[in-house]
Amino acid sequence: MSLCPPYAPFFGFAGVASAMVLSTVGAAFGTAKAGIGIAGLGTFKPELIMKSLIPVVMSGIIAVYGLVVSVLISSALTPASYPLVAGFVHLAAGLACGFTGLTAGYAIGVVGDSCVRAYVHESKVFVSMVLILIFAEVLGLYGLIVALIMNSKVTGLEVC
Amino acid sequence: MGYYSYGLPPFVVVVIALYILLTGSGEAFNVGRFLEESSPYAWAATGIGLCIGLSVLGAGWGIFITGSSILGGGVRAPRISTKNLISIIFCEVVAIYGVIIGIVYSAKLGEFVPEAHLYTRENYFTGFALFWGGLTVGACNLLCGLCVGITGSTAALSDAADPNLFVKILVVEVFGSILGLFGLITGLLMVSQASDFSAASSLASPLVSVA
Repeated sequence: MSLCPPYAPFFGFAGVASAMVLSTVGAAFGTAKAGIGIAGLGTFKPELIMKSLIPVVMSGIIAVYGLVVSVLISSALTPASYPLVAGFVHLAAGLACGFTGLTAGYAIGVVGDSCVRAYVHESKVFVSMVLILIFAEVLGLYGLIVALIMNSKVTGLEVC
Repeated sequence: MGYYSYGLPPFVVVVIALYILLTGSGEAFNVGRFLEESSPYAWAATGIGLCIGLSVLGAGWGIFITGSSILGGGVRAPRISTKNLISIIFCEVVAIYGVIIGIVYSAKLGEFVPEAHLYTRENYFTGFALFWGGLTVGACNLLCGLCVGITGSTAALSDAADPNLFVKILVVEVFGSILGLFGLITGLLMVSQASDFSAASSLASPLVSVA
């Protein structure tokens, strides 16, 4: 049983794919859902649209988290001397970043949609909206941090 | 009521797994052996197919979401029809990304390598890279197409209500379209270290034994 079998990159690439795709699910949902709310707000108060773009920007940041992790993992993938343990850890890092990004994007979308609709009626809601969005964004950040820590454990591993 | 049917596939899988385990051939379940014995060409071709297929699915889905809103809103406000075609173009771009990556990946297939010399480390790597790269690009483009489609539909209806809103909602659409670009970048990075399929100088196959 080799420590660096030829099928180890399968799991590494699965990590890259899951980081990117699952974060994109969250980012796409957040952008679309918040965008619908912003259009609803714009019909009544067009001057508030620029401030209401915050949920959309934060959804884009979730996609950037996924991009960062997938670029980091794919830079470590080589055909020669890639240990199986690195493959599994990279898969786990990708899943960590991906699923947290999915959740964060979903939360940002729903919160952004309902809060911008409330912003039409009551302008004091804005500060609370930003605070709630920050808490939702930080979920994706936790996944990014865990993925970075896991990735650092297997960089420079001299197994084979 | 319909949720009962979701239990049948897991039940079948569990029965088959227990049968294999309890009749003494549990070693037959071997993920590593499956990955070693499956042809890298199968993985690569599946990835390329998924790439273009899912990208075009996303583009088409986005186009019909946006298009139906443009045409519906255009009944009462015909002025929106030409300006909102830009949303259709945003969705189309997602399909173009899929075509580009499909062509780039197809170039890696190279000359046909006979099976006895196919199973080298580099060929395994290329096969897996093309599969997961194609899946990533395809899925990201699918999601981007959906997002741009929904936002484009929203932009068309806002434009019909108030012409000043179009450019502001277009900003949201631009944020949506960067998702497809991220998928493209990731897909290109994944295959940057993957070489074309090439034959090994000596016998390289888990399926052909030197008897």
